Amino acid sequence: MRLLLVEDNVPLADELIASLGRQGYAVDWLTDGRDADYQGSSEPYDLIILDLGLPGKPGLEVLRDWRARALPTPVLILTARGSWAERIEGLKAGADDYLTKPFHPDELLLRIQALLRRAHGLANQPLLQAGGLELDEARQCCRRNGEDIQLTAGEFRLLRYFMLHPGQLLSKSQLTEHLYDGESERDSNVIEVHVNRLRGKLGRELIETRRGQGYRFGASA
Amino acid sequence: MKSIRRSLSLGLVAGLLVVALLLVQTSLWLFEAGLKRSLENDLREETEGLLIAMVKGPDGIRLDTQRLNPRYQRPFSGHYFRIELPDRTWRSRSLWDAVPAWPETSGLADDLLEGPQQQRLLAYRAVYRRDGQPIVISVAQDYTPILESFARVRLSGLGLVGVALLVFLLLQRYAMTLAFRPLERARQQIAQLQQGQRQQLDNQAPMELQPLVEQINRLLTQTEESLQRSRHALGNLGHALKTPLAVLGSLVQRDELRTHPQLQASLQEQLEQIRQRVSRELTRARLAGEVLPGAHFNCAVELPHLLDTLRMVHQRNLQLRWSAPSDCRLPWDREDMLELLGNLLDNACKWARSEVVLSIKPSAEGYRLRVDDDGPGIPANERAPVLERGVRLDERAEGHGLGLGIVRDILNAWGGTLSLQDSPLGGLRVEIELPGK
Repeated sequence: MRLLLVEDNVPLADELIASLGRQGYAVDWLTDGRDADYQGSSEPYDLIILDLGLPGKPGLEVLRDWRARALPTPVLILTARGSWAERIEGLKAGADDYLTKPFHPDELLLRIQALLRRAHGLANQPLLQAGGLELDEARQCCRRNGEDIQLTAGEFRLLRYFMLHPGQLLSKSQLTEHLYDGESERDSNVIEVHVNRLRGKLGRELIETRRGQGYRFGASA
Repeated sequence: MKSIRRSLSLGLVAGLLVVALLLVQTSLWLFEAGLKRSLENDLREETEGLLIAMVKGPDGIRLDTQRLNPRYQRPFSGHYFRIELPDRTWRSRSLWDAVPAWPETSGLADDLLEGPQQQRLLAYRAVYRRDGQPIVISVAQDYTPILESFARVRLSGLGLVGVALLVFLLLQRYAMTLAFRPLERARQQIAQLQQGQRQQLDNQAPMELQPLVEQINRLLTQTEESLQRSRHALGNLGHALKTPLAVLGSLVQRDELRTHPQLQASLQEQLEQIRQRVSRELTRARLAGEVLPGAHFNCAVELPHLLDTLRMVHQRNLQLRWSAPSDCRLPWDREDMLELLGNLLDNACKWARSEVVLSIKPSAEGYRLRVDDDGPGIPANERAPVLERGVRLDERAEGHGLGLGIVRDILNAWGGTLSLQDSPLGGLRVEIELPGK
């Protein structure tokens, strides 16, 4: 899952990037509203966390412009403006969720999880379920038939992406785009390695390979 | 209350009344004075006639009754005389047994005499000399008919004055209504302002009112601007305080601190206290209260957005519904009303199983707002403590408490009341009574 964080407060952004990174999210960070306006709609983000008081261009205007260009990415507004009148403004501009500062770090993570599941049309359950698996995002492990299966950070990221897109054909480049932030080296071999390890742990039939096209998760389930 | 119209009417009536009474009384006085002068002439001629009736007889002067006007013979005819000679006196037969207090000085008597049969007499005294002896002749005439006719004239004069006053008052009222029409218009506009039906007064006022209207409009604009400025400044302050608080909240979760659980716990507790204090005070400071008379809340425009926002925030399959009279405009500041309803509905959404209903109805005093949910509710005997806690513990307890605290602040500013009841949906009903304006 690749997120865009637009936040002009450096210490807060540092904290958020660290905590989101621990949760297996690839995070790109921007501080300026104009940059966010451009990059938010040009890169394939799965979710955007947007502050409202931004230099360059106010967050609400950035959001309105994104929606005017029909950007479907879910947007979570993270702001100090907590009155109901301001929340309504956020909703009117096209936000999908609204969290006010100061917030509990776990609250943000839960809302991101819920928003991602909703964006992929999955029912709001405590655990992400797909392909006969249950994924515990807090503990970063998965469970099948009541049995816990431990995952590495890389496996967890990949499995979560698969489980949010069950039955869909996902190309390797699509997977790299959504699993790594804009700064890191993109090596499609890493994906292959992780896919093979997941097959080793969860069974070969769970992830199907379509030669020259990509992978499909949970096709047999 | 003092009314210009009433004090103008009172002044006019008092003035007219004084002038009219003075006029009536003075004209009566002047007329009476003239009448008395002419009566004095008559009475003097009467004395002269009596003098002629005094004839020299064999044994001195005697009164020749043949020459007397017969009215002096008829008892209580209203015409009387007394003739005094040094050695004898004649009284008119008409006097019968009455003895009026005849005047002692010559000329017309200043006061009326008490006559027979409640008559009041105008008397005249003249002194003549004949054959070297003085003859004092006093005549009197009944003045009662004239007094009566004066009383009648005075009465009808007063009646006329009354009618004239009435006519004047009606004319004045009409003129004032014409003159006050712009004032009345301004009054209606201010009432509309109070009810939130307009934001400014009409600038098309007559010259005399123009400065007042302009000043009110300027004050309204200024108040609105300063409210917006202060809300903006509070937003900035909130941003400046809350972002570092969010950083701190994240920092205390660090692994380095996990090895000192006590330190971490007390840091978290202190941060939580600052966080809630800041939220509460900043929200409270944003309230407009009763500052803006033109403020209003348009239910049909605002409520759908508010409910959408609540659906977004709660992300549960909740049925949120609202009902209000069509074209419902509540005369309170939009942001305050959103904060009040937002907090109430937010609470209801936290507890509801599947349904939250907001209803707004006009009541005898103003408006009645109800928020119903189908959650677990609160047993009747625990409601008072919950309300108490809303006051005392809301500085510490998030959730129910904080929201209710803001609701209370708003209701205090508006003079509204809150009560908790059983909801027909099965959960809690929060009922708010707001006094109208």
